[in-house]
This record gives sequence, C-alpha cells and structure tokens, in this order.
Amino acid sequence: MSSGKKMWSAALLATAVLAVTAACGSGGSGGETADGKIKLRFSYWGSDARQKMTEEAIKKFEAKNPTIDVEGEFSDFASYYETLSTKVAGNDAPDVITLEIRGLREYADRGTLADLASKVNTADIDAKVLSTGAIDGKQFAIPTGVNAFSLIVNPAAVESSGAKLPDDTSWTWDDFVQFASKITSGSGGKQIGTQLSWNPAYLQIYAAQKGEPFYNGNKLGLSPQTVKDWWGIMQNLIKTKGAPEAAKSSEIGATSIDQSLLGTNTGAMGMWWSNQLGAAAKASGQNLELLRMPKVQGASTGGMFLQPAMFYTASSKSAHAAEAAKFIDFMVNDPEAGQIILSDRGLPASSKVLAAVRDKLPDADKKTLDFLDKTRGEMSDPPAAPPKGASAMEDILTRYSEEVMFGRMTPDDAAQKFITEANASIAG
Amino acid sequence: MADSVAVKPRKAASPPAQGGHRSTQRSRREARAAYLFLAPWFLGLLVITIGPIFASLYLSFTDYSLLQEAKWIGMDNYVRMFTEDPRFIASLKVTTIYVVVSVPLQLAFALALALVLDRGLRGLSFYRSIFYLPSLLGGSVAIAILWRKVFGADGLVNAVLGIFGIEGQGWVGDPDTALGTLILLHVWTFGAPMIIFLAGLRQIPSSYYEAAAVDGAGVLRQFKSITMPLLTPIIFFNLVLEIIKSFQSFTQAFIVSNGKGGPADSTLFYTLYLYLKGFKSYDMGYAAAMAWVLLLIIAALTGVNFLASKYWVFYGDDK
Repeated sequence: MSSGKKMWSAALLATAVLAVTAACGSGGSGGETADGKIKLRFSYWGSDARQKMTEEAIKKFEAKNPTIDVEGEFSDFASYYETLSTKVAGNDAPDVITLEIRGLREYADRGTLADLASKVNTADIDAKVLSTGAIDGKQFAIPTGVNAFSLIVNPAAVESSGAKLPDDTSWTWDDFVQFASKITSGSGGKQIGTQLSWNPAYLQIYAAQKGEPFYNGNKLGLSPQTVKDWWGIMQNLIKTKGAPEAAKSSEIGATSIDQSLLGTNTGAMGMWWSNQLGAAAKASGQNLELLRMPKVQGASTGGMFLQPAMFYTASSKSAHAAEAAKFIDFMVNDPEAGQIILSDRGLPASSKVLAAVRDKLPDADKKTLDFLDKTRGEMSDPPAAPPKGASAMEDILTRYSEEVMFGRMTPDDAAQKFITEANASIAG
Repeated sequence: MADSVAVKPRKAASPPAQGGHRSTQRSRREARAAYLFLAPWFLGLLVITIGPIFASLYLSFTDYSLLQEAKWIGMDNYVRMFTEDPRFIASLKVTTIYVVVSVPLQLAFALALALVLDRGLRGLSFYRSIFYLPSLLGGSVAIAILWRKVFGADGLVNAVLGIFGIEGQGWVGDPDTALGTLILLHVWTFGAPMIIFLAGLRQIPSSYYEAAAVDGAGVLRQFKSITMPLLTPIIFFNLVLEIIKSFQSFTQAFIVSNGKGGPADSTLFYTLYLYLKGFKSYDMGYAAAMAWVLLLIIAALTGVNFLASKYWVFYGDDK
C-alpha cells in the first residue's frame, strides 16, 4: 500500500514541477527585478556594432536612473519582425519597440502602441519629420534620425573609365542612362555603370517628379504610365549595358550592400538610403560621394525627401509607460546618448544632439550631413507613414519589376497587376 | 503507444492465476502509477504539439494578424486561397514541379550509387560516409548560401563552363533556372535513401543471383528480375518519405532566394509562401489555413501512394 502511495506522490510531484517550470518560461515580463528595480524591455535590430553602442547607452541611462533596469532585446533584421509580432501576440510585448516607417501603421492601427505626445520632449525635432510618426493626431512614434534616398557614386571609378561626373542639379534620367553606359564601355566592363534598385523610395521620388504621390490614402497614387516609364529607365540601362543583365541584377539585388557592385568595386553607382554611405565606403575602401537623383525633363521638384531611419515607440500595454517614455526621451534628446550612438540610427533627429555630435561623426557621415544640409531646401515634405500592408510593397514591386526585366510580362500587364496587388495589400 | 509499452511487460510478468483479487488490485494500482509517470510526457505532447495543432485549425477559420485578437470568418481563408490568390496557385505549381522532378531523380541516383557500392568495393564504409555527407549538410543554411555562390553569375559553375568556352549565365538569378538549381541541391542529398537502398540490397540472398547466373541470366536480366522486384518495398518506403519531405522543403528556397521566393516567384515554395503570409503580411489565419491544406494534400498523396502500391510493390509472401 505504502509503495503505491509513494509512486502516486512522486508522479504528482513530477507533473507539478513540469507545470511550474513551464509557467516560469512564459511569465516574468514587465515586472520588477529581484532587487526592486523596474524592468524595462527595449527591442531593436542590427549589427554587433549597434548592439555594443546600444548597451553602452543603456548603461549610461541606468546610471542616471538607478531605479530602472533596461534590458535590450536584440536580433538581426531578418528575424526582427517575426520575433516582435510573436511577442505581441503572446501578450509579451517589449516596453520600448524600435520600428520602421513602413511597419508603423501595422502596429499603430492595431492598438499596439501608446501615444507619446507630451511625454517625450520633441521641441528640437523638425516638425515635419516628427509628423511622420503621428497618426490621426497621436504621436505614436519618435524618429531616431533622418535619411534621404539618394545616388551613391564612386568618383574614382567614374574617372578611370573616362566619364565625367555630372552636374547633379540639372541632370535627367536620359543623362543618367548615358552616363552609366559610358562608365561600362569606358572601363571595358570592369566597372558596371550602376546596379538596379527596386526600392519603393526610388519609385516614390520618380513619381513625385511627375506630380504623383506614391500613396493616396489607402490606395496607390501612381498611374500605370508612371510605373511603366520608370521601368523604361531600367530597361534602357540593361539594354545599353549601363546595368548588368536581368539575371545578374536580380542576384545582386538579393544581397546586402557589402556584396553590391559598388561595395565590391565592380560598379560605379547604386541607390541607397544616405546612412548606407558609411557601409558602402567601408566595403569598397573607396572615397564615395552622394549625388542628387536625376530628374524627369521639366520637373518642378526633385522629389527627394527626408525619412526617419527608425522610430522609437512604446507598447500600449506596458506597465511602465512613464519609464518607457523617459528612456525614449534619453535616447533621442540626451547629448550623452548621442555621443555614443552618433549616426547609427540616422543623423540625429534632434537638432541639439546633432550640433553636439557633429564634430565627432565619422567622415562618411559628415559627408552625408553636408549633402543633406545642401539639399534640404529642395526636399519635398517627408511623406506620412504609409498604410497598413506597406511592409510588403518592396517585395511586390521587386517581383513585378523582375517579371518585366526578364520579359515574362509586358510592362502594360505588369503595371496593371502591380497596382491591383499593391492596392489589395494596403486596403485591409 | 508508450503507455502500452510501459504497462504490458509488468502484466505479463505477474502470474495470471495466482493471488486473484489482490494481484489485480495491485496491477491496477501500478498501471495508475505508470500513467501518472507518463503524465509529464503526455502534458508536453498536449501543450506543445496537440494544443497548437488544434489552435491552428481554429485560427485557420479566423482573421488573425498576430497583433490583434483573432476574428472568426468561417471558410473565408480557404475560399480566398483558391479564388483570388494567384500566388497561392503559383506556389502550388512551383512545389509540385519541384517534387515531381526532384524525387524520382534523387531516388534513381541513390539507387544507382547503392548498386555500385554493393559490388563489394574496398573501403565501402568510407565511400558510404562520403556519399552520405551531403544528406547531413544539404538542409543547412551554409550549403544553401554556398549554392547561391556556386550557381551565381560569377560562380564556380560558370568558371568551369568558361574553361570549355561556354558563356554561362546567372543561374540562381534567372527565373527559368533558379528552381533547377534547387532541384539539383535536393538530388545531391541522395545519401539517406542510398543508405536504405544499400541495406535493402544486402537483404537479397546471393543464392538467387547464383541460381540466375547458372541459368544464364546476365547482369541486366538479374537486375530486372531479381533486384528490382525484391527492392520494391524499399523503393516504396523511400518514395513516400521523400515526397513528404520535399513538400515541406523550406530552408533551401528561403536562403537561396533571400527569403522572398524570387526571382519573379520562381522559387516560391508552398511553405515559404505560408511563412511570408504569416510573418510578413501579418495574415496568420490565412497561413494556418494553408498549413491545413498542405496537410490534406500530403495525406491524400500518401493515401494514393499506398493504394497504388498494391499494384507494384512486391512483399515476397503473396503470389
């Protein structure tokens, strides 16, 4: 009898232990740590270098706020959003969340984010840039820093091919194609003129030059003709050998900037966000420059625009909303945080922080800053956060662009299908 | 399954006639204890396998973005899949081509090598390990990255072609050939079915071959009349396994196409599209529905496979 009882209790105990450990695994969020400090969770993505900087900034914040313990939740970009959405789904959202503009409404429109108006000091941030983080009058997101989508060029490669750098204040898309093809032919194919980009920001700039917005509320504002004309530029580039043939282009398009033509010194140009200048320069070991995007003949605007590199947001379910706001305020406004982070999250959005760190910036970033200062007057207003579903836009655009480049779809057909699918994606 | 294994030996060990009432009570008590000891395992199965399976069945009937509560929408996801999602159909097509081409190729390759190795080569175990290696590596991220390099526009394949004066192309970047490189990758991982074929070949008594040789049957005739019929159960086993495995392929396409299924959706595997829907488009309800459709497809195919096996698989005992 007694041995049976022992077995019973042993088995019960085993079950109980398992249940308790399982419960421990999922719990423990948003609480207090053992020593009574408030625990704040901060999620972000990026490189090892960014993680080191961020940890350093967190230490500084903790030194100033001894009652708060910030725990960085770091992952690479490729898996960032899946991890984040899974955490949100499991009612386990981090208190402070880093987001990009294209994903902002996915989260904001679903009630995931808290209104940060008057909780974070935004006096030193350009009002137009700040407004990109506001939706329906609520300031859900604070920009970390700004970028402009522009053309990066390697002047030495251009020169050695016998071509001449253009006057970028007045050049047209035809000039651009001719320039690229001249680089390829002049260098005997050692330097390809440019690689192709299917970034929606590129199409957005082109459309603005034609007087069309990319998004018009919850629909695309693009006309099929604009999309077709835009593809025409790339088709011409391939035809004149200013860009690699379609298969190679799609292969390069799937790699990072280190593996780009520019980064591997096999091409002279490429289009990226301006904060990529440093990475491209490092990969190529060359002295690179930023250029204005070419224009449509007779366009009244260059169409380029400033866009926040990232946003800091706070979870609407956070048990420590005040502390979360305090941390964001520190990251955005405190010059000491700025000294550590420098331009890693775009050139600082706060003019005060920017002034404080200006001289400490690496050369590439100084160049970016000069370029942005030079072009600021010509820039269009920063576009508002795109509608929900816009995260998929780059994939959709890339897919139809490739169909056209490979000649598997006519531009007419592809433009029509692209607009239909894009509209379906952002309507929901 | 496991509970019967755990309880039976004990029952068999206790003498049936002796003791009567007392012993049945005792064995019942022990059975109860056994079940309790199994409870942690069962709890695990319930919580991390069966629970999620039923949760996904429920989610497949909902509009679920991960960020908000799931909303019941009935059969909508399933209807949408077949009526207004050309990419779903495209992904089915890509996956079907992949399975139909790569599985027979891989099995033929595995069988051919198994036959060669069965000739009694010296250092057989060495060769066996070498040939098995790709199977261990083939599903890995590193090999997929390597594949992208080897079949790239400036990759190894084109360099070799260049020696013979043939101008290559970007194989992974071209929608006409990208899927082909993935099929090749799958065929290359022939090690696992090869080992099973080898074991099967070893099972065939050599006396059959000796008798056939005495009767004047050549190598081909022996293969056709002895090896093949006796190997059919093994072929069937490999076929079923590989079909299921290839339908679920994910890693290779994910890495080679940089998680997008490109160029131009030419490598958009079913599971890859499912993943994109769930985690990139925040449409987890739809993704769950896709998972169930995949389960039904695989179950139906396996069923057909078993039915068809009656006509070609030879188990030796029935005439």
